[in-house]
Amino acid sequence: MLCGGTGCMASGTMKVKAALEEEFKKKGIGEETKVILSGCNGFCAKGPVMSVYPDGTFYQDLTPEEMPGLVEEHFLKGRPYQKLMFKEHEKKVAIPSINDIPFFKHQILVVLKNKGIIDPERLEDYITMDGYKALAKALMQMKPEEIVKVVSDSGLRGRGGAGFPTGKKWELGLKIKSDLKYVVCNGDEGDPGAFMDRSVMEADPHAVIEGMIICGIATQAHKGYIYVRAEYPLAIRRLQKAIDQCYEAGLLGSNIFNSGFDFDLEIYQGAGAFVCGEATALMRSIEGKRGMPRPKLWRSAVKGLWDKPTVLNNVETFANIPQIVLNGSGWYRSLGTEKSAGTKVFALTGAINNVGLVEVPMDTPLRKIIYDIGGGMIKKGRKCKAVQLGGPSGGCIPEAYFDIPVTYEAIEQNGAIVGSGGMVVLDDTTCMVNTAKFFLEFTADESCGKCVPCRIGTKLMYDLLNDICKGKGKEGDIETLEDLSENIISTSLCGLGQSAPNPVLSTLRYFKDEYEMHIKEKWCATGVCRDLCTFYIDESLCKGCGACARACPSKAIAGEKKKPHKILQDNCVQCRSCWDTCKFNSIKILPLSARKACESEIAAMAAAVEERIAERELAEVAR
Amino acid sequence: MIELTINGKEIKTEKGKTILQAALSNGIKIPNLCYDKRVVPFGACRVCVVEIEGQRKLEASCATLAGDGMVVLTDTPKVRKARQAVLEFMLVHHPLDCPVCDKAGECDLQELVYEYGKPNGRFVKEKKHSPPDTKGPLVELTANRCILCGKCVRICSEFQGRGALGFIGRGFSTVVQPAFGEAIECDYCGQCIDVCPTGALLNKSLKYKARPWTLEEKDTICPFCGCGCTVTLGVKDGKILRARGREDNGRNEGNLCGRGRFGFDYIYSENRLTSPLIRKGDELVPSSWEEALNYISDRLRNIIDSHGPSSIGAIGSPRCTNEENYLFQKFIRDVIGSDNIDSSAAFGYGLAEKAWEMSFGQSGHRIDLKSPAGKDVILVVESDLSVTHPVFGLNILKAKRNGSQLIVADSRETKLTRHSSHWANIKQGTGVALLNGIMKVIMERGLFDDKNTLKIKGFSDLEEILKDYTPERVSEITGIGVDELVAISETFAKAKTRMLTLSVGVSENTKGLDMVLAAANLINLVGESPDALQIPAEYANSFGLYQMGIRPDAGPGYKISDNTGKGISDMLYWAGPNMPDIRDADNGSWEELDKLMALKALYIMGTDPAVTFPDSSNITRRLKSLDLLIVQDIALTDTAKLAHVVLPASSWAEKDGTYTNAEGITQKVCKVTELTGQSFPDWQILKNLSLAMGKDLGIEDMGDIVEEINSLPPVHILPVNRSFNPVNYAWSEGTDVSYPLNMVVRDLLQHAGSMSTRSKTLGLVSSEARIEINERDAERFGISDNSHVRITSRQGTVYLKATVTDKVPDGTVYVPSHFPHSGVSTLTCHSARKGISMDAVRVEAA
Repeated sequence: MLCGGTGCMASGTMKVKAALEEEFKKKGIGEETKVILSGCNGFCAKGPVMSVYPDGTFYQDLTPEEMPGLVEEHFLKGRPYQKLMFKEHEKKVAIPSINDIPFFKHQILVVLKNKGIIDPERLEDYITMDGYKALAKALMQMKPEEIVKVVSDSGLRGRGGAGFPTGKKWELGLKIKSDLKYVVCNGDEGDPGAFMDRSVMEADPHAVIEGMIICGIATQAHKGYIYVRAEYPLAIRRLQKAIDQCYEAGLLGSNIFNSGFDFDLEIYQGAGAFVCGEATALMRSIEGKRGMPRPKLWRSAVKGLWDKPTVLNNVETFANIPQIVLNGSGWYRSLGTEKSAGTKVFALTGAINNVGLVEVPMDTPLRKIIYDIGGGMIKKGRKCKAVQLGGPSGGCIPEAYFDIPVTYEAIEQNGAIVGSGGMVVLDDTTCMVNTAKFFLEFTADESCGKCVPCRIGTKLMYDLLNDICKGKGKEGDIETLEDLSENIISTSLCGLGQSAPNPVLSTLRYFKDEYEMHIKEKWCATGVCRDLCTFYIDESLCKGCGACARACPSKAIAGEKKKPHKILQDNCVQCRSCWDTCKFNSIKILPLSARKACESEIAAMAAAVEERIAERELAEVAR
Repeated sequence: MIELTINGKEIKTEKGKTILQAALSNGIKIPNLCYDKRVVPFGACRVCVVEIEGQRKLEASCATLAGDGMVVLTDTPKVRKARQAVLEFMLVHHPLDCPVCDKAGECDLQELVYEYGKPNGRFVKEKKHSPPDTKGPLVELTANRCILCGKCVRICSEFQGRGALGFIGRGFSTVVQPAFGEAIECDYCGQCIDVCPTGALLNKSLKYKARPWTLEEKDTICPFCGCGCTVTLGVKDGKILRARGREDNGRNEGNLCGRGRFGFDYIYSENRLTSPLIRKGDELVPSSWEEALNYISDRLRNIIDSHGPSSIGAIGSPRCTNEENYLFQKFIRDVIGSDNIDSSAAFGYGLAEKAWEMSFGQSGHRIDLKSPAGKDVILVVESDLSVTHPVFGLNILKAKRNGSQLIVADSRETKLTRHSSHWANIKQGTGVALLNGIMKVIMERGLFDDKNTLKIKGFSDLEEILKDYTPERVSEITGIGVDELVAISETFAKAKTRMLTLSVGVSENTKGLDMVLAAANLINLVGESPDALQIPAEYANSFGLYQMGIRPDAGPGYKISDNTGKGISDMLYWAGPNMPDIRDADNGSWEELDKLMALKALYIMGTDPAVTFPDSSNITRRLKSLDLLIVQDIALTDTAKLAHVVLPASSWAEKDGTYTNAEGITQKVCKVTELTGQSFPDWQILKNLSLAMGKDLGIEDMGDIVEEINSLPPVHILPVNRSFNPVNYAWSEGTDVSYPLNMVVRDLLQHAGSMSTRSKTLGLVSSEARIEINERDAERFGISDNSHVRITSRQGTVYLKATVTDKVPDGTVYVPSHFPHSGVSTLTCHSARKGISMDAVRVEAA
């Protein structure tokens, strides 16, 4: 099973596939082996990846050139090919079996249960894995009220980010009487860096379709739309193929399973707007109108698409439905907590070793996800600073709090949101002010422009953060940011505006000192904000290895071999390459004022840096 | 009803209303910038946020349903802070244009900022500086003042059904622009100007002329169409500078069309008459009132003595007030002794009245502007009501939005066809065949209550005539499919509530008495109340003048005369019912026919037959042959140029009086500006003329006229007495090799009659008649867009510019008759049958 997810495809899956198949043919075992492209496996950092069955050996970092060797060793000689196996990052021990690899071992797959083991373009594969059994049960053996009840009892909450109880939404959808009703799947997934929904749509499209048809039965709707962002062409292709297969097999269309129930499904492509992930804006987009949210005069379940009752849920939410119906609400409740039942898929990215797609029960502590599954920090010697959850609507949780479970309540209490599942691990080379600025830049750009506070307020906040990062911060800016945040949150029309200030508020809550350093001392201690730092080589620590000079792109480091080097401030562009390279910790990041300071002052600042770092570590521990 | 508490006050409201609506209807003000009751709540400005007990967040009151038992607070510190924040955001990039912005003084943004205190201006940012968009002729869009409340966009698309403005771009860089940022192309109604809360959209014709607080505002009734909209005129130093609608004001509820809003400046045109004129040789020479009135009275006396009073005719005016029209007919009947009095209503409202009397035994046919609301089915036949009666058209669109089925049968694309539930694309002039076809289907399928309907007089005649109108034949005549015809008939017949509406008037040539009778037949067949047939009186006082007795067969108050005088047809088109149709020139020379015509003198008040009546070259010839032609008007019209005496009258804004609109509602017209030159209100001229003739009309002042009118016996409302008056589909002219195209005369949205063509402002949008021809016909005859063409009919030749468009069907061209210089009315013919005219033309490149 060769991973055919977008990530691995981009890394060269098709070339590997071609090489593999050619090699099989060459060695004469073409008839006994089969290369199947599966959906996203999740282990994206090491792609292209592959699992070999029946033994379940996992290979990563595949290249076409390695294929002859792999085939020779594993397939002809029966000796698994160590070179391409997963290696546990500290001791470099090879772990052949997928079930033993920590990244996979600690996950409990519900939504992603078929990833990597089926061909998503074959309906038969899905059916083999108990596919469409839930549909049959819902259609033949259950009344709509009963379906709604099992979903309510399961405690499933909307996985798109709002966490609204799914059963409650379906209950309202069933209750409203109307000649026309709709089911809509939100596949817009706009959070930068999030790819949970994409992976589900690519790896297991039928799970989404089955979930939607069941929703149709439960709410007595006969037409569904899957809204997929146009930037996901593979997901669109896989979904369309799956839909076509369903129509052919009589799983969609009129009189499904001879029950008299009709359901039609169609894909609608987005057009490049983050705001169209908001439910009411999404519906306007399907109607062919400008994608702007509508004030909630009526819930969408009462008046949604074309003013008809519409139940809208996220891709992941729908993907949970078939198993809940099949296995019962009790089964789903056995995972997670009372208020946050079941599992959640996270896109685990950032400064860790094992980057990729992760599904865990909701009561899993952050620490387990980041260290056991994520494999800890990727950069040698660096510490974890915080984890950013929920994308541009979310916030940061500092390392000290990593023992909290990743439930809706616990995360919210600590100033962030679970959101759609984006999880970015930040190490201590990250500037938190810059992080907040990054998210505000995104939100201000994606604001639809309809309501005053979001349209103008987010831009004002971004401008202010930009000024701070450029050295123009002044006394009172933090208070202004907090005031702006409060105003924008209390008056914005939709979730985009209401959550846009969150990254700022959460970084202010835990990393206020960074803001203060940026504003008062004009100093970015991580060296990310170029206008707020000066790079300086402490000659007492420099070994003269010259690695930094080789890394420098602007010829700003001078020095002889084995003698202490010096940074020429006039040429330095503050790119931080030297600091990233130095193995001896001899480069210090000093405030802006160091550029013009005299030698003795600089030396004093350099010494002070160490003290300041020590101080902050103590403060962290104290927290 | 539900109860809720706002600021401690208990109020009641209907279920389904928002908090804002509940508050406003109970006299509680909640500030708002993007709310307008005519369109769906938008929730963009966030100024109307309120606190609701039990809810954590502030909610926009315009977009939150009022709940039973809700406790709402609209002015707490939290709410004030939020409002101030939102206003602060708006002002960050809003230019400080107040000193040079026409909106200052009536600017909603200015008012709110003033009330909520000066925001601390802590963000110093570059103001937006897009230059004002002055490409459009009437509306000036200054994008940097725009706060993106969206009201203009929504009024134009949701309410007006036009959608000329939209949001372009996203986020901070969003702007309101016409499509693709090009010059605005729209109906030029100006509703967007009235609705804009800032100076972003301004009335270009008013720019820099007056600060709002220097304008004295007075309400009056619009002088153009029969809707009778209340218009608020802004007057400075005695000059009218602007017209606007005020929310909820008048039968139009504050809505106005382009004519009402921009057209009032026709009273300031250069050819306003400032003194009486008397013909001396070939010229019209200014004279004094004494001279002019004496001249008239001498000549009239001579004519009466030589040829008798019935040789004198009169044409009243739908632009003059009730009082003036009443006095006019009194003068003609009592002082002159003639019953030959009629008006342009003979082509329009008069036909509706006649059909009313014939089909329902009633008089005083009136419409209800609000009648479309709640109807299951609205059927519009061959009429562009959005153009002839814009506010009525808006109510039709509103009804459609709220669930009515709108079926529009028309030969060309119009706003109504675009918004219809179904557009039956019939050939022009085939409305009678369509209606007959519908009746045939209903009869065949028994979709009517035969118990009562069979008893109606004329039913068997109807049955007999309808034998020829099988679905197949009707389909052939009209061009729509048999299935379509059947579907429309069934829908109309099975509707629980319905409305059938069309327009008739002097400016349209494909509908006549037959059409109205056919429509009335259909109403009688389905047993619907006569109210369901809505044919609006054309102009501001067409209904009124008819009621005042400007008609040859009845006096004021619909009192049928014992002696019926000559109407327009007899006065202007042929010599009498026994005489042949004047176009039949084989029967003698024109001179002989003219001699036979018994009219020697004609007194025309406020009408321009040489421009607006069909077959106008013939009319001109006829008018020239008179011994005495008196024209009393406000401007030197083409008709006035033919007169022996021209008397200067005061315009609608220069006198007091009343107009009665198409709904039969009498409303006050107010004097807002001084008389022009030596002009007088028409009633004063008549009084003076009467005195010059040695007769006393028995009135001293306006009050006396009003008293006399009020003392008329009340009109009895007779019970409905139905009869069928079957009509056949027939036409007077057809196409042939020499005249291969059909010509339809229809109104333009910017104009009503020819009076509006004297408005400079309206002239910026539409100042010349254009002939509309489609691409295939244009190619066939070698016509290109915007080129000059020669149009020839059996009556005359005219030169116009062509517009090539796909909105008109094959084989037919469309022209308007408003413009004096275009001469379109010389092409049309006047049908002897009082049916449709169906003029045919040929078109060549000029």
